[in-house]
Amino acid sequence: MVHSVGDQETQRPDVLLLVLALFPASMFLVLLYALITQPLPWAASWTWVPSLGIDLTLWVDGLAAQFLLLITGIGTLVLIYAAGYLAGVTGRARVALLLLLFMAAMIGAVISDHLIVLFMFWELTSVLSFLLVGFSHEQENTRRSAQQALLVTGLGGLALLAGFILLGQIAETYSIQDLIARADRFVGDARLSAALLLIFAGAFTKSAQFPFHFWLPNAMAAPTPVSAYLHSATMVKLGIYLLARLDAAFSDLLLWEVVLVAVGTSTAVGAALQTMRERDLKRILAWSTVATLGTLTMLVGLPGQGAALAVATLFFAHALYKAPLFFVAGNLDHGAGTRIIDQLTGMRRYMPWTAAAALLAAISMAGLPLSFGFIAKDVLTIAKAESEVFKAVSYASVFVSGVSVAAAAVAAIHVFWGRDTVPREAHPHEGSWPMLFPPLLLVTLGVLFGLAPTLVDPILGAAARAIAPGLDADAVRNAYDATPVISATLSAVLIGVVIYRNWDRMHALLERAHFLDVLGPESWYWRKLAFLPKLAAWLTRRLQHGRLPGYVLVLIGTCSVVLFALVGVTWPTWQAVEVSAPELPVLLACALIAAGALATLFVRDHLVLLLVSGLVGYGSAALFLFTGAPDLAFTQFAVETVFVVVAATLLVRLRRAPATASSALREPVLRPVALVVSITFAVVLTALLLFVSAQPFDSTLSEYFGAQSVPAAHGRNVVNVIIVDFRALDTLGEIGVLLFALLAALPLLRLGRGARSEAT
Amino acid sequence: MTSRPLLAEVFVRGLYIVLLVASIWVLLRGHNAPGGGFIGGLLAVAASAAYALTFNATSALQRLPLRPAALAAIGVLLSAASGVPALWSDLPFLTHLWVELPLGIADLPLSTVMVFDFGVYLCVWGALGGYCLGLLRALEEAP
Repeated sequence: MVHSVGDQETQRPDVLLLVLALFPASMFLVLLYALITQPLPWAASWTWVPSLGIDLTLWVDGLAAQFLLLITGIGTLVLIYAAGYLAGVTGRARVALLLLLFMAAMIGAVISDHLIVLFMFWELTSVLSFLLVGFSHEQENTRRSAQQALLVTGLGGLALLAGFILLGQIAETYSIQDLIARADRFVGDARLSAALLLIFAGAFTKSAQFPFHFWLPNAMAAPTPVSAYLHSATMVKLGIYLLARLDAAFSDLLLWEVVLVAVGTSTAVGAALQTMRERDLKRILAWSTVATLGTLTMLVGLPGQGAALAVATLFFAHALYKAPLFFVAGNLDHGAGTRIIDQLTGMRRYMPWTAAAALLAAISMAGLPLSFGFIAKDVLTIAKAESEVFKAVSYASVFVSGVSVAAAAVAAIHVFWGRDTVPREAHPHEGSWPMLFPPLLLVTLGVLFGLAPTLVDPILGAAARAIAPGLDADAVRNAYDATPVISATLSAVLIGVVIYRNWDRMHALLERAHFLDVLGPESWYWRKLAFLPKLAAWLTRRLQHGRLPGYVLVLIGTCSVVLFALVGVTWPTWQAVEVSAPELPVLLACALIAAGALATLFVRDHLVLLLVSGLVGYGSAALFLFTGAPDLAFTQFAVETVFVVVAATLLVRLRRAPATASSALREPVLRPVALVVSITFAVVLTALLLFVSAQPFDSTLSEYFGAQSVPAAHGRNVVNVIIVDFRALDTLGEIGVLLFALLAALPLLRLGRGARSEAT
Repeated sequence: MTSRPLLAEVFVRGLYIVLLVASIWVLLRGHNAPGGGFIGGLLAVAASAAYALTFNATSALQRLPLRPAALAAIGVLLSAASGVPALWSDLPFLTHLWVELPLGIADLPLSTVMVFDFGVYLCVWGALGGYCLGLLRALEEAP
């Protein structure tokens, strides 16, 4: 909670946020106009990353249009609400900016037809939601919630990317519309199950489905406008959107149906139970959102055309009643300083307008007649009747509706009606107009659409047709049977009333069920999170032990294994090597190198070791000299000399330090592992060298440089000409690396500003 | 070591100059014979190292024309700048240009290549010299 109560009363609405609300508002109006004048679907395409085959293809059909309307419409209201709710709060401009960015990401996600582009926007919403949930980052609890939301949805996002890539390979297209069109060609593919399970993981984490549901109620640490936008109307629906989007391709698969119905139903039931364990109104609403998301997932999984219409209707209805209820919770928090329902009763005396909004929204949430929620419940019941689901799913659904009725009653009746128990010192007061207009507008729309559903029929029909192509609205209408609808409504209300009357008792009962906390997926999350730093610490201790021989061993061992695999793979293509006798100087140089290398084995003194290994360098330089690379030889001589001299000086001076003298003695004479690794490395390298020299030498480049050196670059030293002219950009990069290496070492060597002057 | 190697000091004082001149010569002749900015720079580093070993690293640092990092940075900037004139002639970056400067007796060929190579020379001297001298000085200052 970002507010102190009382002093907000006098705050005027924030003008900046109101002005920013004009952006989504104008988009909403343009969209509405376009929907009326232009027939759906709209498509457009641009080439974006041709090398990866990623095109920026936009596709707006009924489903996307419905989402666009919700995103821009509710987005406008959320910004208006924030202008009142966050007035005078520091960082409100940041929230507004992030909300607008989030809006853009959501729009991108629902209109892109390319799986990878969709994924990009999907991830963007995860990151932005992390920033939004973590708004009050000075509180530890908030930080943990934001981190949890990011980790859960981010990991799901990774799974989703893998799933998308796999799906793209199976379908040989990344375009969703192409994929749906040619679905029958690849549904038999064995890899499809893996791809779908990965996509499920992404969608379930995003839409808070069991067992990834726990992050959503915790994300209620966000400011209320953010919760209303992200966690009721838009982001959490993105997972359902994706499933609905792909439903046309996979709805006939058994896996699709079973997983979605099972996960959706268990999410709904689990969330309904959790609803009753809460005392915080916002968390009650959050759990009931999870329950609705579960119902939506279940509906996507159900076969039949009624289900598609039910998904579209419930999407819409839920946004229309859940967003106002979040606004109501925010108003209570703002006006009475608490969201705990025990301390909130009889609030209608202080907040009449909020009470009205809460009542109308609750009627819709409960699915009572004359509300849009009733229409949604209608369609839902038809969908279930049509697809002949298991009895268990049906019962579960009735139970979930009952809890939803009870939760609605808590939000409206318990809080606003009944005895006035609010402590005087809380100074409860009504919100300013920007905090009342959005919920009232939404609930009014809810009643309007409930009375005249034909107003939204076109858009819902178009959305349903996008989910299930060839949907026949008349068939759904003809299947309408009043009996199950009435009985479903009656039983839900009955159960709801019973739960509401016994809310406190049920709460006490469930509160004692601690095993839910211990066994629940959230405890797994925390355990894993605590395990990670331990694992990292253990790995660091094992790998970063600070002993140089150990590092070198690991390094060379890894190289050996990789090169060995390379040799093993290419072995069959190898040719015999023609070995010609080398000339005497070359032979002598080689002998020098070998002598230096062998001598290092028997020398124990570090200084002598350095000098002996210098022989290898000088031997290499001599070898270069006699094999026609004087420049290289020259460089090698210079480097070797400077290195040996400087390193020797350092060693001599280090030796005076007492600590280092004894460490050499403790090294064992022979390390078996090191011996094996070095022999393997030597063998593999020799084999590779032989292989490379057996290949026919491609002299195109050297001939070109040799021929062009004088005419094009005015230089007879081809090596130098290559360095400074033909490949000058490479050289520039190399000296850049030199410079940056020095800059990185500056603090260590204390060579920074004043290093020259401080000595004088 | 309290005793000063007097003979070595006199010798290295001269050697330092000789090595630097040699490094410049190697740098300049590099285009047509073995040599160039890298090797020249390394020779200069060798000169600095020799000076540091005979006297001490601090005075070797002082004998550098600039601080090592500045030397290296100017080197990189010079090399990069040598590629800019090509852009004015609508050629790709780092295409080297040549002009013949008439001196009366003979024409002296000048090129942006020389600027480039000189930048390489400075960068190598500054970076590697800085490393060597910095390490040596760190040990000198250690208790």
